[in-house]
Amino acid sequence: MIDIIILGTISGIIYAFIALGFSLIYGVSGVVNLTHGAFFMIGAYIFGNLYKLLTYSIPSEFSHLTPIVALLATAIITGIIGCIYYRLTLHQVLGDEVTILIVSLFGCIIFQQIVYLIMGPVWAAQYPIPTIISETFTLWNVNIEIDRLIAAIVSLTSFIGLWIFTVKTRVGTAIRALSQDLEAAMLMGVSIEKMYILVAGIAAGLASIASVLKISAYSEPASILMWVEYMAYSFSIVILGGLGSLKGTLIGGLIFGYVYAIIESRFPQAGSLMPIAPFIIMILILVARPKGLFGKRIEME
Amino acid sequence: MPIRRYLRKAYTSFGTHIYDIPPRMFAFLSLILFSLLPLFNLPTTMLQPLISLNFITVLAVSWDFLVRSGQASLGHAIFFGIGAYGTALIFKYLGWQPLISIPLGVLSGVGIAFLIGFPCLRVKGPYFAIVTFAFPVVMTGIVKYFPELGKDAGIKNLPRIFPTLTYTQRWLAEYYLSFALMVLSAVIIYKIAYSKTGITFVSILDDDLAAKACGINVSKYRIMAFVISGLFASLAGGIAAHSDLFQRRASPTFLSSTYSFVPIIVSVLGGMGTIYGPLVGAYIYTFLDSFILKSIFKIDDFTRTLIFTVIVVILLLKWPRGIGRTIVEKLEDLEKPREIEEIEKEKR
Repeated sequence: MIDIIILGTISGIIYAFIALGFSLIYGVSGVVNLTHGAFFMIGAYIFGNLYKLLTYSIPSEFSHLTPIVALLATAIITGIIGCIYYRLTLHQVLGDEVTILIVSLFGCIIFQQIVYLIMGPVWAAQYPIPTIISETFTLWNVNIEIDRLIAAIVSLTSFIGLWIFTVKTRVGTAIRALSQDLEAAMLMGVSIEKMYILVAGIAAGLASIASVLKISAYSEPASILMWVEYMAYSFSIVILGGLGSLKGTLIGGLIFGYVYAIIESRFPQAGSLMPIAPFIIMILILVARPKGLFGKRIEME
Repeated sequence: MPIRRYLRKAYTSFGTHIYDIPPRMFAFLSLILFSLLPLFNLPTTMLQPLISLNFITVLAVSWDFLVRSGQASLGHAIFFGIGAYGTALIFKYLGWQPLISIPLGVLSGVGIAFLIGFPCLRVKGPYFAIVTFAFPVVMTGIVKYFPELGKDAGIKNLPRIFPTLTYTQRWLAEYYLSFALMVLSAVIIYKIAYSKTGITFVSILDDDLAAKACGINVSKYRIMAFVISGLFASLAGGIAAHSDLFQRRASPTFLSSTYSFVPIIVSVLGGMGTIYGPLVGAYIYTFLDSFILKSIFKIDDFTRTLIFTVIVVILLLKWPRGIGRTIVEKLEDLEKPREIEEIEKEKR
């Protein structure tokens, strides 16, 4: 029982962090940006390449900084890609639901094929991300892997950082204003275009960090098709917790983490059915509670 | 004599509805062209894309029909796969021949459409799209898990629909079967979409609350659209599973995202929500894809997918009307000035 609570909490926070960017962009602009899944994939590939590049170029006395520098650079690069992508495509069709869905889904495929063309068929199918720390320690008879713990701590820090950003800063206040009342915010001089592009960039950057943390902590190889699974994760968590609320996303992620921990420890024979678990959970959540567990859309708090 | 009356009616409707209206004349001429084309000793490599074109068209037209009822599905491959697996399972475990197993497989597709349709009534817009996107993924996982469903390899060695033919004749027969399927389903779906029922679907697409207020049973019509769309898509799947083009087996390929996305690509190329749009789009897609980019420029599969996705995104952003709709509007414009001139002449 204790193992489910500890491991479920750790993985739950990581899952919540995966959904954070999607929750942000959905809560602020109401755009269902399916391309968000592709940024997980892009982030993993950029991090892998940067990490290889930096291990050769950074002098050996700073080598422990390599993952951090690579992670920050990945977040910035992916964020810029996210901004450009959003401005070029989705911003032009705001308000048209069907077009946004199709365009953003095809955006995923465009990114997927571009990565395939750049990386080649072998690395497109499986791209290993280096595991940075591979030690474990035991707490109350539960083996905890240190890199998962670090990933969870980084995720929680990012959550708090984003919360401080939206509550304390001027730009964050403007973003919250947009999510509460679009027209009133425009009258107060908030530029929709700039803010939406900024939010899209932040969401893409957060997605890349989340994917790198998840992949290196759970030592899964990246692949060009991983966006499908990550899209399912983020969508089901966001729906579970309520749309566009940071608190709801955290709760949704924790529920998801506990469910996964229970499945993993109690039903080990599920094995090859595990990859479709997020999709089944997603269908069940959407069909049972189409507006999320906590009722209707909550404003960013 | 009802037959004679029917023939006369068909002839008069041919005279007034096909000969006079340019888009219908265009459609009629291309029907003749594509039903005669394979007789000119086409090589098999050219016949194969045309056969797959017919299956894609059925999928695209049925997807477009679903869009007209306000349900933009992102996982249309589920019906294609269920049609294929339904017929294959009936053949494998009951040993029934294609002529019985295909209709039964289609029935199973309709049943699944019913089962899927009811929970889907609760979700709308983006949520509906996401749920439908998840169905083929879940189905692929189930198919790959159970050995009874053949895992990765699928259910192999299904019988041919026409067993006693030579190699060339077999491809010809397959072409004509798929062509007949395509024409039939396109005509039936077009007729439904532009009937009174079809207008009800469009009213649900425009504003389902207003439609409800007008006394339309929205749930009934949404389920109906789902079932009609699923019927034709699973029929295509059932026939495709028995064809040599798909190696005569029901495999997870039927559920792959290709068969969810190509109908969307084709519909956007031709013009979404018009039924004839996907038809035009499918021909444009196949000619660009298989005959120009693949045979002449020798571009590999991945790059071609990339090219088409980029084209579709640009079309959606800049020119959402599509090619087919524009062609039809141009053709309709051809007859308009003539009519006005004739009226003016009569006045003089």
